[in-house]
Amino acid sequence: MRLADAALALYALVCLAALTWPGLALVGGAAEPLVLGLPRSLAWHVGWVALSFVALALYHRATRGEHEDP
Amino acid sequence: MSEASWIVVGVAAAYLAACLALGTLSSRGQAASTVGYVAGDRSLGLVLMYFITGATIFSAFAFLGLPGWAYTRGAAAFYILGYGALGFVPFYFLGPRAARVGKKRGFVTQAEMVAARFESPAIAGVMALVSAVAFVPYLALQMKGAGLVLRTVTDGAVPEAAGAAIVYAVVLAYVLASGVLGVGWTNTFQGLFMIALAWGLGLYLPSLRFGGVEPMFRELLASRPELLASPGLAADGSAWHWGEYGSAVIVSVVGFSAWPHLFMKAFTAKDARTIRRTVLLYPTFQIFLLPLFLIGFAGVGIAPAPQSPDEILPHLLMQLEVSPWLVGLFCAGALAASMSSGDAMLHAVASISVRDGWIAALGRALAPARELFAIRALVVLYVIAAYAVAVIYEGSLVLLLLGAYGAIVQFMPGLVAALYWRRATAAGVLAGMLAGGGLSLVFVLAPEWRPFPCHAGLYGVTLNALVLVIVSRVTPPSASSDAFLRDAAGR
Repeated sequence: MRLADAALALYALVCLAALTWPGLALVGGAAEPLVLGLPRSLAWHVGWVALSFVALALYHRATRGEHEDP
Repeated sequence: MSEASWIVVGVAAAYLAACLALGTLSSRGQAASTVGYVAGDRSLGLVLMYFITGATIFSAFAFLGLPGWAYTRGAAAFYILGYGALGFVPFYFLGPRAARVGKKRGFVTQAEMVAARFESPAIAGVMALVSAVAFVPYLALQMKGAGLVLRTVTDGAVPEAAGAAIVYAVVLAYVLASGVLGVGWTNTFQGLFMIALAWGLGLYLPSLRFGGVEPMFRELLASRPELLASPGLAADGSAWHWGEYGSAVIVSVVGFSAWPHLFMKAFTAKDARTIRRTVLLYPTFQIFLLPLFLIGFAGVGIAPAPQSPDEILPHLLMQLEVSPWLVGLFCAGALAASMSSGDAMLHAVASISVRDGWIAALGRALAPARELFAIRALVVLYVIAAYAVAVIYEGSLVLLLLGAYGAIVQFMPGLVAALYWRRATAAGVLAGMLAGGGLSLVFVLAPEWRPFPCHAGLYGVTLNALVLVIVSRVTPPSASSDAFLRDAAGR
């Protein structure tokens, strides 16, 4: 497996763990404190959506040379 | 009706007329063939692809069900954001491969592709049947949503059944007239409209009731802290189980790209690059859902309470006595949400029934012109069927929908195997789908039989993948697998 693929797969696992268990249960799921006016649980979700965008964008960039179109 | 009701209905009617005009005019230049009607001549660029896939998540559920969930079940609703983070990522990999092989071999539906890979009409038949059964309640839910909105904002002057009929007559007109391009252009228009409206209301309503988003959450932290901590509350108001929450996220991540009306868009895209970029930009659409959570929370503690939580948004607008112009705009936005998902589903399920059910599974060849006619006839038939379910069926649509999702998720192992795994066989894919679908159906009907409180679809899809691998290992693969995978990889 190439480095970029491995990194993306690892990110996906970490992200899933962060959004289900144990990440959400132990760290992100509390109601307090408010982050940018939102409860921590909601801000945590918004943050991971944004982070996933960045992660896939980086992957897209790193593998740019290999995309050829049909 | 009061003057305010007339304004509301007038704004909504103007909006419907604009959609109709845009939807019917947008087919110019499109070939009068199945590839034209179903796959837009494989010509869709980034803007259309972005809105066509994005607007499908802004379904009637987004404007009604989601605020309703936040209002009653609090943080449980965040699972929608949770699966959105990764939900479309499988399509980044599957989509371009499907597009390549689809272009080379002329596929326009996913079942067609899987069936060709395994040379198995039976697979096409099963997938067509499951899609048909899954889409009717889904469509019915969209119609019910449209009817509910019109009834609430007109204080009952437009009954639910009449409202749903008017709105879906418009959808029917443009889906019939222009196929996927009509769906694409109206969804672009509707998507922009919904985003603007969601943010407008999402900031306005909390400030109207609580003086702003942060003050709202401060007050909720003091009065209802249990609403704001994950995983939120179950439907009966007790604390939700982590297993249920986590597995709902995972099943949605796995199954989301398998929904036929999304997956089929691989065959509409101009090229693989467009598909990758569409997936890349998809989370931006997810962020547009944020204000809808805020609206749900803004309803907490409102008196009198709405009849059902799904009505919280229109109920808030009526209770807070906002300007009828704003109510009219909301009404148009909610209709947009219902229509922009309903049209894509309708278009997908009709194409699937004809291409996969009639032609591939039953082996009845159709002349191109007849095929297009058959798809259009089925569009009408499905509207009528879904309308009948929406009006007549009194039971829980959500239960039907849960069953449908559990079934659609079962497509995923077969799709991955078809596009990636040389050793997969027809027997393996079929056995996996049936075993997984069966198990998830059992657990939907009898949730108390589950060994651990997890989403029924998760049990099903796990069994599905296991059976697929085991049965494939002991059956011989089809000789044409290598050629198919070479086409998919573009080598």
